[in-house]
Amino acid sequence: MTPEQFAARRQAGWAELESHLAQARRGALRSVPAADLQRFGVLYRHAASDLAIARRDFAGQPVTEYLNGLCGRAHPLIYRGRPVRPSALPRFYASVLPRAVRAAGPYVAASLALSVAGVLAGWLAVRLRPDLAATLIPDSLFDRMARGEVSGGIGDAPVAASLIIGNNVKVALLCFCGGVLLGIPTALTLLANGWVLGTLASSIHRDGIDYRFWAYIVPHGVIELSVIVLAGATGLMLGDAILRPGLLSRGDALIAVALRAVVLCVGVASLLVVAGLLEGFVSPSDLPTPAKYAIGAGSGVLLYSWLLLGGRTRRAAAPRLQLDAGG
Amino acid sequence: MLPDLHEIRTADNVGIGYDPAGIGSRFLAFGVDTLVQGVVVIAALVVALALAPAGIAGTLAIALFLLVPLLVSVGYFAVAEALTAGRTPGKRALGLRVIRLDGGAPGLREALVRNIVRIIDLALGIGVVVMFFDRRSRRLGDLAAGTVVVREHRAPTAAAPPGLPPPILRTPDAGPAIDGVEHLGNAEWGALRTFLSRPGMAPDQRARLAAVIAERLCERLGLAPGAPERQWPPELLLERLYLQLLPRMAPAPPGHGMPV
Repeated sequence: MTPEQFAARRQAGWAELESHLAQARRGALRSVPAADLQRFGVLYRHAASDLAIARRDFAGQPVTEYLNGLCGRAHPLIYRGRPVRPSALPRFYASVLPRAVRAAGPYVAASLALSVAGVLAGWLAVRLRPDLAATLIPDSLFDRMARGEVSGGIGDAPVAASLIIGNNVKVALLCFCGGVLLGIPTALTLLANGWVLGTLASSIHRDGIDYRFWAYIVPHGVIELSVIVLAGATGLMLGDAILRPGLLSRGDALIAVALRAVVLCVGVASLLVVAGLLEGFVSPSDLPTPAKYAIGAGSGVLLYSWLLLGGRTRRAAAPRLQLDAGG
Repeated sequence: MLPDLHEIRTADNVGIGYDPAGIGSRFLAFGVDTLVQGVVVIAALVVALALAPAGIAGTLAIALFLLVPLLVSVGYFAVAEALTAGRTPGKRALGLRVIRLDGGAPGLREALVRNIVRIIDLALGIGVVVMFFDRRSRRLGDLAAGTVVVREHRAPTAAAPPGLPPPILRTPDAGPAIDGVEHLGNAEWGALRTFLSRPGMAPDQRARLAAVIAERLCERLGLAPGAPERQWPPELLLERLYLQLLPRMAPAPPGHGMPV
């Protein structure tokens, strides 16, 4: 059979597949009528078997290249991940996210340890060299707090909240993607984040406990610091997947863990909206100090009872064979 | 087949080859997408400024506007890739698309991973360096998400059937039967067909190329050194071989392919 005869015999089906492809213009089969979908599948399989024949008989001929392109365009329309529906959001927050947090337990512990190490280092640094406190603290916040300027009105609170949310989301995402560089940037971010808190706290407390300082930190800090620790855990998951890939190749282990960890990262990053609103509106407000502590404690109780209890089922699930890397 | 082609296997175990996109076209696509992002941010600014003079509402408008660049820079690529099956406006303009390593369209997870890791790829130009060394021009985001950016084939349509121009034949007939012609198959016939269909070659070049091909084919035919066919002009030999193979190739074998 010549390529021309082959093309002439099979062309009608190819043209029909082309028209279906043009119909599914936005890259999805959604716009294709249901009745045509089955036809689409049949046409695709025929084109694929034609490609197999053409590769054998007409290697390097234009008809083979054409069929390769045709199948190449049809294939991603048929094989794709589950579509995301907004209706899946309640279930995501109710059970998927808390379960993902609990599954990442060891990494959360490691991330927390790095943060605490940063806090202790910052605390000790200021304790040992009080003269260097001003240079050790990388935040101008200290000056403002020392001058008693932190308790302002809430006139610019919305703007502040936006800026804070934006900044924190960036930190959380940076924690995640630092994972591809073995988690080193992630670890540095966690240490630096702890360092800021440690140096600040140490400076403020040289003359005893300052409840005003903690009243400024606590209302938003409970959620914000928890989110940064959890986001750090996702970065450490990626780094660990590269370093200890288990049965998979390093590349495949990274992919498997990244696709799992990104859900966790984006899910907890969305909590930064709550933290940012608290930091913009509540922390610098004129609320009495006990009220601020109560808000901080309340946010903590809500956050952790949700993360620790959400999505638990009554029956213990049967243990499953785990072949993928990481926890 | 090119060594850096990305080949996937369909469920029926048919190989489909994809051509990975290079740094240049991807950079241009990124530029187009950045322009789209810029337009979105400016539109948001105009709306925010239009609302701004109205007191507390103005403050809120500005606060919301401050969130737009963040939402756009973080979310644009991820959402666009997830919604358009890997073809953002920029990629579409340049004829590119993102696919998973198995050939499927990227979902929201893949899109999120490859575009969050974009932060690292853009920092210090690490991504470009990684792309330079990767066989399939993947950046770190692609490596983590298991995706490849490929060229979308802009192939001829089925209406204008893909094929070669008709062969240029100067011999009036197939000539005497050539010994060992049964040893030749699809591959040799394809090569003959391609050679004879090539228009506009200079006569002396055509003769030289024909001599090379004829020499190879004589070996495959198993012709003795003194065989009369070796004395024919190479171009005549090729044309006669083509014509003698044609009856074997032209009739469609029964059961070859399913009816559609």
